[in-house]
Amino acid sequence: MNRTRIIFFVIIAVAIAIVVIGLLARALTPAANPIAPAQSNEPIEVRVVTALPIESWVTEAANQYNSEKHTLEGRLLKVTIVPMDGLTALNRFDSAAFEKTPTAWIPDSRYLVELANAAYKERNGRDVFLTDGEYRAKPIALSLFAWGLYGTRAQALEAKFGQIDWKTIHDAATAAGGWPELGGDPAWGFFKLVVPNPRKNVGGLAAMVAAAGEYYDKPNISVEDVTNPEFQKWLKELMGSVTAISGASAYTAEDFALLGYSVGDGGQMLESDLLANMAGISNRWQDPLAVRYPKYVTWFDFPFSVWMGSETSAAEKNAALDFQKYLLSKAVQEKAVQYGLRPVNAEVVVNQGDSPFAKWAGAGVTPVVQRTSAMRSPDREVLQALLRWFDLNVAQR
Amino acid sequence: MPRSYKPSYKTSQPNPGGWITLLIIVVAACAICWPLTSGIFNGLNNAVGGLFDSIDSTLSGPQPTLTIAVSPEKAELFTQLVNDFNAKKLKASNGEEFRIATVSLEAEEMIDAALAGDFQAMSPDSSIWLDQLDRQYQSAQNTGAGLVGQTVRYAVSPVVIAMWRDAAQRLGWPQRPIGWSDLLNEATANKDFKWSHPSTSSASGLLATLAEFYAATGKTRGLTIEDVQTPQAQTYVNALEKTVRYYGEGEASIAKNVAEQGRTYLDAFVASEQIVINANQASGVDLVAIYPNEGSLWQDHPLALLESNGLSDLQRETFSAFATYIAASEAQQAILARGYRPADLNIKIDDATSPINASNGADPAQPQTSLQVPSAAVLDVVRESWLANKRRTNVMLVVDTSGSMEGDKMENVKEALATFLDQIKSDEERVGLFEFYNDVTERVRISELKNNRSALVRAVENLDPGGNTALLDGVAAAYERLQQLNDPSRINAIVVMTDGKENASAVSLNQLVARLQNGNQHGVPVVVFAIAYGGDADMNVLESLSNATGGQTVVGSVETIRKLYKILSTYF
Repeated sequence: MNRTRIIFFVIIAVAIAIVVIGLLARALTPAANPIAPAQSNEPIEVRVVTALPIESWVTEAANQYNSEKHTLEGRLLKVTIVPMDGLTALNRFDSAAFEKTPTAWIPDSRYLVELANAAYKERNGRDVFLTDGEYRAKPIALSLFAWGLYGTRAQALEAKFGQIDWKTIHDAATAAGGWPELGGDPAWGFFKLVVPNPRKNVGGLAAMVAAAGEYYDKPNISVEDVTNPEFQKWLKELMGSVTAISGASAYTAEDFALLGYSVGDGGQMLESDLLANMAGISNRWQDPLAVRYPKYVTWFDFPFSVWMGSETSAAEKNAALDFQKYLLSKAVQEKAVQYGLRPVNAEVVVNQGDSPFAKWAGAGVTPVVQRTSAMRSPDREVLQALLRWFDLNVAQR
Repeated sequence: MPRSYKPSYKTSQPNPGGWITLLIIVVAACAICWPLTSGIFNGLNNAVGGLFDSIDSTLSGPQPTLTIAVSPEKAELFTQLVNDFNAKKLKASNGEEFRIATVSLEAEEMIDAALAGDFQAMSPDSSIWLDQLDRQYQSAQNTGAGLVGQTVRYAVSPVVIAMWRDAAQRLGWPQRPIGWSDLLNEATANKDFKWSHPSTSSASGLLATLAEFYAATGKTRGLTIEDVQTPQAQTYVNALEKTVRYYGEGEASIAKNVAEQGRTYLDAFVASEQIVINANQASGVDLVAIYPNEGSLWQDHPLALLESNGLSDLQRETFSAFATYIAASEAQQAILARGYRPADLNIKIDDATSPINASNGADPAQPQTSLQVPSAAVLDVVRESWLANKRRTNVMLVVDTSGSMEGDKMENVKEALATFLDQIKSDEERVGLFEFYNDVTERVRISELKNNRSALVRAVENLDPGGNTALLDGVAAAYERLQQLNDPSRINAIVVMTDGKENASAVSLNQLVARLQNGNQHGVPVVVFAIAYGGDADMNVLESLSNATGGQTVVGSVETIRKLYKILSTYF
């Protein structure tokens, strides 16, 4: 047998050996390394960037949704939630900083969607989130900004000033003698306002806009209003009573509950965040929160907005719509109420059964907010002016 | 006629073209069979009971799906939580098992390593460091987006003044609330009062320094850069820092020394509440947590995901699973058992099972108020001002260069000494170098580092082992030099390292201990920090020297010596 034949038989033997060993290995490995499914059978991933106040509710819903194994055109749907503050997400959309483009975005408020659209329209000449039609941004829950103060502190302020509003809070914040001057316990130190860091939590911007609303006694705020030196001086005095801007997290209400009255006597926060922490605050600090509603109310409507860019496929867009419908279903909307959110599905009642709205009615929580005007959504210039002012006067203080 | 030999290259020499052809055919065959061959290793592995996995675990540990950096004071708790999590063998959506590894780092090191992309998540002692990380990242990357992503909290602990009960009572506690000003007044007025705080690279050290500046300016909020930089504030803080006994690598280490050395070590130190609880539980000391009436600060132990470009879905999933795990009841109860306040507000911290109680020196209803945390820019100036005003040091490095130090031992010590010098940033600190073998040689005269830093570096590089071990003479010579300097305004310290037994000194141990004790009472107090290098070092002698001066003896090896010197550098 010459060398060429030997080589030929060696090759055949090696190939046969590889096949035999491979077959043996497969037989010894039940279900290991299944051959990858064809592309068309892969699950469709719905990646939803979700505002922090609804993250817990949406994540629970997504887990339930995934476990129910929803399909679209024969393909499994898989929802992944990426929690992110609305302003942070807006910046990422603006700077195209998402490693994977989200299939959908649920920001805190509709105006963030409008701001994102405005930026894209300027750059690409088109909207990336639709405002009409089947794929339009659709609110999936509501919440509003309300005052939350530790009960002992609210009692002292109401005894001295009559009601809780931004003027009262400003007077408390600037009281040189601290709590003794305000009728409170000297051990409480100075009055400490809770305001989210607007660079981490869009609620901080909402609070400043609301403060401007009461300062000017009107619901629509302009750039001239927020750049007025007198207003800025007033706002700076107010913000001077915030304990920790530098190290504050994006979860302001959770910080408020976890670190207690030592870091904040109270502030204007999202009602759902307050409700989510009411029981914990009572348990940890033995000083239940008092909830009060302001004259000018800022609403967050959490619009579910499907990304219309070419980065996601038609199937992914339709899958996102399917999850949106799931979030709007009665059962999931009832869950939202348990998280302190107000449902957008008219079939769901806010204050029935063990709803937190019913449970905390004694603390001042009301299912229907009366005698208030809604703050109008500020435009981009107002927000930018406030953020610039914040960076220069509060973040750098 | 002999047969001529005509080499046949075709048959007797390798034919590269033929082998390449063969190689191509084999590779092609393997490629065709790849779907089958890919199962070979898995199949074999499973068939032999996961042998490859177990070898991997045993030798180097399985590849982690997430690495988390954690601050040292909670490394033990965190490791327990991570081990429990890993033991659950939870799986990602791709079927891979979640495995978390941890690395313990001080805040500033953690920030540097985070910027270098050494890990994917971090849990420093305070959110202050996350803010600093984002600022440095934004500056380095020239971007508005930060590196810090999803952040969760699982435990918090207020920063307190840990004080012996009788010392607190002497200041009027608990009849009246006491705070930073009481501590600082006592430290200034009573020269026997001993207190300490960690350096500003931990939240508790930063708070202590911040409190000093608040006290200096008469404010409790609204501290500005201008406030910090006023001459009055600088003078006040400078005077106060002179009362600090010495600094240290962290609050846990200070608490350990308090537990070991008892009442004589310190009267008070700044630490988190859980350190006080643990110290009371473990060693039977009687410390109380003073929640300063001017205001406290919180260690909030954030756990943050770092949104670097290379972050994978698996790492994100691992983070999410771990965040869920540490928020659940089992982990939260474990956190409370360690004296931390759990983030789950449904867990009561004031019931009978909670360790946060009066018998452990703590009060769950406290603190009532906080000091205002200024902006990161002000904090930077506070840190810089502390470095400028901290108590200065006269430190003598005393190094064993006897024959037994030859080889790796000496080389590692050289690296360790270089690290030590590198860590002491201020050129106003004074450092000197003695070596001992048969005899004692002063290699570099003690002087401010601006004068002798390069000489020290050169001398360290040229250390050459040989001869016997005149340990006691080496310490005695360094001690005399410090007494000659006669500068009690500074921390005076000797850092002595040896790997062997004393066998060549003129002075005896008893004589030297008596000299140290006498000098510390009537002359310049000197603290001896001793490093027992390797298993043959004379622990009894070293401990006698360190105990006589309120210092400490630590055990090092070739692997740890560098770290040990680095830690000791934080004491100055």
